[in-house]
Amino acid sequence: MKDEHEIAAKVCAAKEDMQIADQLIGTYMPFIKAETARFLQRPPVEGHDDELSIAMIAFHEAIRGYSRTRGAFFKYAAMLIKSRLIDYRRREQRHGGVLSLDTPGDADDTPLGDTLADPKDTNRALEAREATRAEIGELSRQMQDFGVNLADVSDNCPRQQRTLEACRKALGYARDNPALLDELLKTKRLPISQLAEGSGVERKTLERHRKYMVALLLIHTNGYEIIRGHLTQVMKGVAAK
Amino acid sequence: MNYMVMECRPSYAVLLDEEGRFLKAANLSYEVGQTVCDPVLMREEPARQRRTAWWISSGIAAVAACLLLVFGLGYYQNYMAAYSSIYLSINPQVQMDLNRQGTVVALEGANPDGEKLLEGYNGRGKDKVTVADELIDRAIDMGYLSEGGQVSFSIDSPDDALFQAYGSELRTRVTEYLDGRLAVTIEILNYKDGRPQETPVSSQTPSTSAAPASSAGSPPVSVQPAAPSDGQTDYGDTDYGPGSDGNTGYTPPAASPASQAPADTDYGLGNDGDTGYTPPAASAASSVSPAPADTDYGPGNDGVTDYVDGNTDYDPGHADDGDDDDDNDDDGDDDDSDDDGKDDD
Repeated sequence: MKDEHEIAAKVCAAKEDMQIADQLIGTYMPFIKAETARFLQRPPVEGHDDELSIAMIAFHEAIRGYSRTRGAFFKYAAMLIKSRLIDYRRREQRHGGVLSLDTPGDADDTPLGDTLADPKDTNRALEAREATRAEIGELSRQMQDFGVNLADVSDNCPRQQRTLEACRKALGYARDNPALLDELLKTKRLPISQLAEGSGVERKTLERHRKYMVALLLIHTNGYEIIRGHLTQVMKGVAAK
Repeated sequence: MNYMVMECRPSYAVLLDEEGRFLKAANLSYEVGQTVCDPVLMREEPARQRRTAWWISSGIAAVAACLLLVFGLGYYQNYMAAYSSIYLSINPQVQMDLNRQGTVVALEGANPDGEKLLEGYNGRGKDKVTVADELIDRAIDMGYLSEGGQVSFSIDSPDDALFQAYGSELRTRVTEYLDGRLAVTIEILNYKDGRPQETPVSSQTPSTSAAPASSAGSPPVSVQPAAPSDGQTDYGDTDYGPGSDGNTGYTPPAASPASQAPADTDYGLGNDGDTGYTPPAASAASSVSPAPADTDYGPGNDGVTDYVDGNTDYDPGHADDGDDDDDNDDDGDDDDSDDDGKDDD
């Protein structure tokens, strides 16, 4: 009973902070592995079995969705892990008749993928990925100055299409007024009132999604060409205005 | 859609989709900077409060809907649904549908003239009498209704009490409305059996239909003003008799406006109606006749008293005029002289 209380308290704390949740998952990894093993009917291999990753994200969901009034946490987490794994298996069944490129070949253990002629230039792809990683690293560092990390941003990201569009509208206004972006970099503060006034977006909307707006505006300052290139839809939306 | 892997943690990864959303997903051995296309995204558990709010709001909505239904139905029955109808026919025929409050909910022309009469007219939400008055006005303007015309209201109501109530209301108020402007016959019919409404004695309406006839007859009858003739004519005059009512003496006084109404009452109950209605028609003609001079017919109806007085007390001078023996005798009696004589003697 006391254990239940302790766990519930930990889960409540983890709800608010993604890092604590991450630690909690580390602590209860054996539980997650056990649940996955029960489903797979074999012990999962860390870093190899996608099912384990699915189970971990399901555990995250359990932390998010847990409420004390619903009973014991572990029962809930087990149920959620199982149902997510079932979902995943059903989804994968669609690719049932397809052979994986990673399957070992006939003669030796070389994966099938390696025996094919690669249409892409692997080296260049690797270089591009390195460049992207550098950009993302730089972005994370810059975001640290604002007291924001990527996990926060994902929590703070608008869920509704309408809100998303409002944020894009504000972004469009900022892009048209580079002075705002300069001010953001200089003061390390989001010029919410100017954005709200200029773009006509509700101030409250911007305040509620402050962290997301910081990330979005930072991406649109100098130096993040690759990430910006990825955001085709955002650019399209802004260009339309 | 393609997702760019922004951050990798053992238990999750942060992805950026092409629309600018940052999402969490299962980390299926991703690396930062990689672009993936089929991630297992973390599902957002709907907050429990939201579900409660949903339940509460849906409950409130259900209750509100029920209330709306109940009150709406009541309102509809009372105000929107046609409960009774009045068919107004002049020559144009118009059907008025009324709700329970007696307010017009729909107007429809029952014949081409009726449609023409209703053109550009909106009577919805007005009281039936108002609509009737306004339609009659329109009919007068458009030339459908003129002096001496007939307006008939055929009332189709579910119960007789309502028919009676509507009938009397329409009759009195439309009569009042047209009073002094136009003499028309107002007829109230029961739509179901086509019978006219029996009018209560108190209302002056019954004679409406009779009015034209009496007014037509009356002008020649208009009485001579002469004062001297009092005695004779009065005696001969059947005015006082029950049968003579319609014809004679009552019209002239009626000629003068409403002020004469009280005078009529002197003549007895039955007569009242006649006189009341004649004025408009007769006024032109009868105004010429010097009614005021004629004391008998005059407002005070002194005539009546005159007769009494004349018989008994009136002076010898009158006796001369009086022609009758009685007068002479009376005068002969000469209380004064006798008395005097006796006294003298």
